[in-house]
Amino acid sequence: MPRFLKRKFFKDLINKLFGNDKKLKIGFYGHPNSGKTTLANRMTNDWIGKPIGLVSEIPHETRRVYRQEHVTLSHDDLELDFDIIDTPGIATKIDYKNFLEFGLSETEAKERAKEATKGIIEAIKWLDDVTGVLLVIDSTKDPLTQANITIMGNLEARKIPFIIVANKIDLPEASPDKIHSVFPQHTVIPISALQGEHISDLYQAMVDKF
Amino acid sequence: MDANTNGLKMDFLSSSMLNSSTSMEKISMIVNRVKNGDLVVIEGGLTPEEEAELIEATMREIDVDNFMGIDIYTLEKDKKSFFGLSKSKIVGITIIGPANVMKAVKKKSNFLSMIANLGDLNASMH
Repeated sequence: MPRFLKRKFFKDLINKLFGNDKKLKIGFYGHPNSGKTTLANRMTNDWIGKPIGLVSEIPHETRRVYRQEHVTLSHDDLELDFDIIDTPGIATKIDYKNFLEFGLSETEAKERAKEATKGIIEAIKWLDDVTGVLLVIDSTKDPLTQANITIMGNLEARKIPFIIVANKIDLPEASPDKIHSVFPQHTVIPISALQGEHISDLYQAMVDKF
Repeated sequence: MDANTNGLKMDFLSSSMLNSSTSMEKISMIVNRVKNGDLVVIEGGLTPEEEAELIEATMREIDVDNFMGIDIYTLEKDKKSFFGLSKSKIVGITIIGPANVMKAVKKKSNFLSMIANLGDLNASMH
């Protein structure tokens, strides 16, 4: 198909799916420390040349929603213009003592725990406002968690398209196949956000899915 | 936690009881019990929207010194279909409890095993 027809077909498809006036808003969801912000930073660095948020080893580093508008993804002659919504990780519990292991004082750890609860509420509220989701799962961990199931159930109920990003495949203990086997009905893209492995596969899936 | 016996209190809620309640009533019924240290076993499951509301309500109730949140586990069963060919699953029971009590959970497709931590006491249930 000639390039201009392909582009037109893609834009028509997007308009059909989302309407002319509806902005694409891609939310990053998943557990704390699954690599949402690392991935969001890689994408914004790739496409607009600057990071979106801070990354750290300490869980719940992202405690409020970060938004980057007008990120343009160009892939295979197609373009996708969207906003990135980087959300705090969703969890059902927060124990401030876990933060003490990372060298935080008790006061800092309790403060971080309080902020994290607000961040989780904010992340849940954003489910009403995103038009597509990248559900980031750490491939070295058990994917079958209540938080992941809850997020997917809500996305399906709200008919929001999503891609499961099996992250951290650069680590030797990573098992993206397990994520495939647990969620065979969904699109799973194994990547390393840190090393940039297979990122183009994810961009292709985003163009196809969103 | 039962104050009189220092034991683990478990409340079993039937689906008919839950179905007669609004989502808000269900969530508040669960959160109040779990915050009190009790374990709630419900027949069937919550809708995805109710699960999200439950997490939201839990986050509002977290008190970093006394209540760190909840753990939720479900046991699925095969969905009955007219021709008996369906492979889909539905939630048979849902167990929700305080995160500091539900210490170790082993889950397989048709089996759930949990160790409840009651401070010096330990209760094992299968």
